[in-house]
Amino acid sequence: MNGNGVAADAIDVSGLVKRFDTRAVLDSIDLRVPRGQVIGLLGLNGSGKSTLIKCLLGLLKADEGSATVLGTAAWQLADREKARIGYVPQEATLYPWLTVSQTVAYVSSFYPSWDRAWGEELLRRWDLPLGQRVGPLSVGQKQKLALVLALGHRPELLILDEPVASLDPVARRWFLETVLETAGDGAGTVLFSTHITSDLERVASHVALLREGKVTFHDEIDVLKDRVKRLRIEAAADLPADLHLPGTLRQEVRGRQALVTVDGVDAALVAGVRERFAAEVVIDNLNLEEIFLELHDGEAAATNRAR
Amino acid sequence: MSQPPPIFVVHPSSGVPIYRQLIDQVEALVAGGRLRPGDTVPSVRQVAAALGINPMTVSKAWSRLEADGVLERDRGRGMVVAVSRDREAGSLAERKAQVRPLVDQAVVRGLQLGLTPAQLMAVVKTSLEEKAT
Repeated sequence: MNGNGVAADAIDVSGLVKRFDTRAVLDSIDLRVPRGQVIGLLGLNGSGKSTLIKCLLGLLKADEGSATVLGTAAWQLADREKARIGYVPQEATLYPWLTVSQTVAYVSSFYPSWDRAWGEELLRRWDLPLGQRVGPLSVGQKQKLALVLALGHRPELLILDEPVASLDPVARRWFLETVLETAGDGAGTVLFSTHITSDLERVASHVALLREGKVTFHDEIDVLKDRVKRLRIEAAADLPADLHLPGTLRQEVRGRQALVTVDGVDAALVAGVRERFAAEVVIDNLNLEEIFLELHDGEAAATNRAR
Repeated sequence: MSQPPPIFVVHPSSGVPIYRQLIDQVEALVAGGRLRPGDTVPSVRQVAAALGINPMTVSKAWSRLEADGVLERDRGRGMVVAVSRDREAGSLAERKAQVRPLVDQAVVRGLQLGLTPAQLMAVVKTSLEEKAT
């Protein structure tokens, strides 16, 4: 906390465990998100993304550990703090009988800080039919309306659960630009879960990979891309089945050729491979989706070997 | 006549981090003479908005370019292509080429002495830590 009583971190999760019956859906999660950061939460279906988000919002109570949001324990968030958060769930709860403008008027009445001009600007930008009832709107339009409702009070923290899943590419681009605008002056913090890695690569500076309830990686996306590389090795003679390279995530050896994905490639490692196997080594850059797949494949392969 | 501001293109889903793509493009524009010493480069905000990317990413690219002496901060004008250091020492590529034979010598000697690449790197790192501050 600084002198103004403002927490330095927008989100501070420590040792968080959430069980459904006896199964730990979140298994000792640590996650710190400083203010002004745009962070993506990436994971397969069932990895615990939505559960983590619900714990952050105080919609679910953690069994162990703590979740602090904007300086307040998530489970104890009062209306005053909640008014500083914007949230878009996977499926927005809207009243089908209200029109678009009635919905905005209704929701905005809960927020003292609602910015009318900004709300109207967003409605215009998203091309939402003001006079139409919400019920018959398309899934995409409902999603857009939910976003307007989450952004209209200019939240300090924006939490989005698969926000773009039902948007077309044009709307997705608009949406991402709006997210960046929210975070643009360095004050707004955005956490969004997604499985569309290209969106994440564009707007998020950081990523947290969630796998079976655990955070397996949390850092800058750039750092991840700099760290994880794929080596294409072509040796003079047949290679051993296991090259024993440090940080190997996945390897595929076929005769004199091998593909090895390594976490923590440096010049020394590459030089070592060249020397040991009298090999040509080409280093492939991997994008976030490829890294994500390699991480999951690699672990699956390791499990299979152990069996 | 001033030239129109350079256009950057990034591929967020490339395996090359976006900040590296920007660094490469600025270096190419400088090397190719499309950006001349003293020319301003677009601000972090402008580039981020135009490309729809996180401003922190652009900021990181500009900072690295500044650290490498390609760009420098000019009061009131923002980032400009470096004038001073370029004239003295040549472009980054030239300066790298200059130091290369010295590094080669040290590496060869180190290998002859039976040091592993990692051990050699550690020696370089220590030297850097002592001298670069």
